[in-house]
Amino acid sequence: MFERFTKKAQAVVVQAQEIARDRHDGRIGSAHLLLALYGVPDSIALVVLEALGVSRSDVEAGLDGPRERDADVLATLGIDLDEVRSRVEEVFGPGALEQTRAARRGSWLPGHIPFDGEAKKALELSLREAIRMGHDYIGTEHLLLGLMHDGRAREILAPRGVELAASRVMVEELVRRGRRAG
Amino acid sequence: MSDATQVAAAASSRDPAVGLAAVASLRVLLESLEELQVGNARDQGWSWQQIAGALRVSRQAVHKKYRRFGF
Repeated sequence: MFERFTKKAQAVVVQAQEIARDRHDGRIGSAHLLLALYGVPDSIALVVLEALGVSRSDVEAGLDGPRERDADVLATLGIDLDEVRSRVEEVFGPGALEQTRAARRGSWLPGHIPFDGEAKKALELSLREAIRMGHDYIGTEHLLLGLMHDGRAREILAPRGVELAASRVMVEELVRRGRRAG
Repeated sequence: MSDATQVAAAASSRDPAVGLAAVASLRVLLESLEELQVGNARDQGWSWQQIAGALRVSRQAVHKKYRRFGF
């Protein structure tokens, strides 16, 4: 399936992996893929998301807090991560603790982060969306449509009035108008 | 803490997954703090020898670890 991905769609998948790693999330979910669309400029998906009025910060807000798990397990040792963080930030500024190389490396995670079930399904659905439109490639627009069906990404998009059927029409219109695949 | 009851239950359990995850998180926290403090010390003109002494490690160890960071 990945061999059918356009360069931009491939870049989105790579970006999703990086987002998950930066956040120390053990799995790439549909919300990571959705957020990753914003990391690859000049794509049809971004034109659609902009037209639908869904901003990057809307999607970011829909992701769970990144260090929740760390906070919970450190609490079992009597360490209050929020307290540590606020004291560190008093000295080194906002976000200092998360911005170190050590924190971003997330060294307890394996190098390759697997997709979760939702993300796998969304990728399969993006293939189906491409086939449905008679396209022999999977672009960011198909990824976006694939993410609208189900799961966390849908939970972020649906309350903002995003609908699959209307989005399909928009994509088809953009493709017809000769917007370059991507 | 998001859920005090859950955390309390986790603390009292003998589940290795919880205990090991806590050690892993602590290690990242430690590394992160060390990086901030070493950077700060370098900004303030501390030598690698001084930093190593304060961290109670060898000068080589601390220099090898942080020389690529541009401190």
